[in-house]
Amino acid sequence: MAGTSIAERGLREKPAPAAGGGRRSRRLQPQGLHWILPALVLSVGLIYYCIWYTAVISTWDWDGIDPNPERVGAENYIRIAQDPIFWKTIQHTIVFFVVTFVLQTALGLIFAVLLHSKVKLAVVYKVIIFIPVVLAPAITAPVFRQIYAPDGQFNSVLEFFGLGFLAQPWLGQESTALAVIMAVTVWQWTGLTFVLYFAAMGQIDQSLLEAARIDGAGNFRTLIHIIWPGVRGTTLALAILSAIGALKTFDLPYLITVGGPNYATEFLGTYIYRKTIPQSHVGYGAALSIILLVLALVMALILQVRGGEKRVVR
Amino acid sequence: MFEIRTRWGRILLQVVVTLLVLPFLFPLVAMVQGSLAGDGWANYEAVLAVPGLWRFFLNTVVIAAGVIVLVYIVTMLAAYGFGKLRIRGREVYFWMLLVCLTLPEVVLLTPLFTTAQAFGFFDTYWAVILPIAALQVPFAVLLARNFVQGIPDELFEAARVDGGSVINGFRHLVIPLTRPIAAAILIFTLIGAWNNYLFPLVFLQSPEMQTITLVPQFFVGQFSNDQTKILASAVIIAIPEVVAYLCLQRYFERGLAAGAIK
Repeated sequence: MAGTSIAERGLREKPAPAAGGGRRSRRLQPQGLHWILPALVLSVGLIYYCIWYTAVISTWDWDGIDPNPERVGAENYIRIAQDPIFWKTIQHTIVFFVVTFVLQTALGLIFAVLLHSKVKLAVVYKVIIFIPVVLAPAITAPVFRQIYAPDGQFNSVLEFFGLGFLAQPWLGQESTALAVIMAVTVWQWTGLTFVLYFAAMGQIDQSLLEAARIDGAGNFRTLIHIIWPGVRGTTLALAILSAIGALKTFDLPYLITVGGPNYATEFLGTYIYRKTIPQSHVGYGAALSIILLVLALVMALILQVRGGEKRVVR
Repeated sequence: MFEIRTRWGRILLQVVVTLLVLPFLFPLVAMVQGSLAGDGWANYEAVLAVPGLWRFFLNTVVIAAGVIVLVYIVTMLAAYGFGKLRIRGREVYFWMLLVCLTLPEVVLLTPLFTTAQAFGFFDTYWAVILPIAALQVPFAVLLARNFVQGIPDELFEAARVDGGSVINGFRHLVIPLTRPIAAAILIFTLIGAWNNYLFPLVFLQSPEMQTITLVPQFFVGQFSNDQTKILASAVIIAIPEVVAYLCLQRYFERGLAAGAIK
């Protein structure tokens, strides 16, 4: 237990990043509103305008062209509540978030710890893990469509290991398509989790680790009692990013399975797209968008509050 | 982090890391291998010979460069303001900006579509640059603000006592000192702009405005689903980004380590 107490003391003693210095220097600071204005105009201006516009459209029954759309109040929202596909997308999003977040966190953490441990050729491993983050889903989607095809490499690998009986058309059936989308997501984003953990671990006080070792803590106990609490802020930030990312998911399911088969990989993002562009139910799509936005904000708030007294985003 | 004392322990560690990395390497190998299947290098020649490919490439470069310049300028100004200057209600503005992180691209489609048409932006670079930049800025500001806050106040005070203006503090302290985080922002922005699929798909309609992320899909029709050519085009699209990442990799890591999300 010695490790825990040392870790906690160490964290508490770590000076909080000064938010613009102490009170005295703050009075001396020059006015800065005009410095942040360009960013506010560009992002807040454009995006809040879009949110407002979407909110207005969400009360219309509109095909996107008709100059005189019919105002229907909350009807779109009522129809969404009764839409089985909408509930399916919510279910997929939850499963997707839990599975990808847990796997990415575990893998990212393991890689970060191992690559901090004097592995030879660490740079090569780092680059291999991070390259998927750099690649566009538009690039990787065709690769994975081929890998998971009935005659693709994944089934070949299974056969090679004598697991040929497991070979199946992974993307063509409802039972496995979502799992493939999740696997590809983990492949794509573990690099980001890893890089952030790797950076955060570099900041853990080395003397803490040494003290723990002198106290006789092994590698595993150091991981649990010092490293894991030491990167807690990063974990929370990643949880928020993953939750929002899960709600936003669009590119991979759209490009790999187009939300199919039979809506098995439909997410809110792909459903909004399907409704808005190919089906021209723009009002309905807008209402879905507003729901997505509310869900994203609620998720971010919940995770932020659950994060406790330690600020997540600093 | 882990302390390995024995030689066998070290070898075991190396083997474990290698085994764990293999699944990450496998699709990359499959991609390159698949692109060389059948006709070999002729696949690449076929892709490079596609009419308009260079035009798509150029479009993506223009868009990515536009987004990067815009995001960099706006972010650095804001990071200085948020990090080191006095702003009434600063946290409110900051959270307003962070809320933008929660917004998926799809939500912007309809409003931007009608607005872009009304202002004559539709089918121009701006129709893609502005929304991508708007979505990239909040994360970039988040990274850069932490970094700027980490610069000691004394440096800025010294600069002011020496008669330097606020702008000098920005030019001579913020810009040079934030280089590592700028590398991280550059990478993230490049990834975001280069890889964007949805905005070009919807906002760029004429054939000569298409970007390269649309190319693989374009091949799906063109070569009636010729996988090898699709994969060859995927490799070609990926190369510039991978090269950029490899060049900036060291700065990128340093920037994240010093600022980043903690």
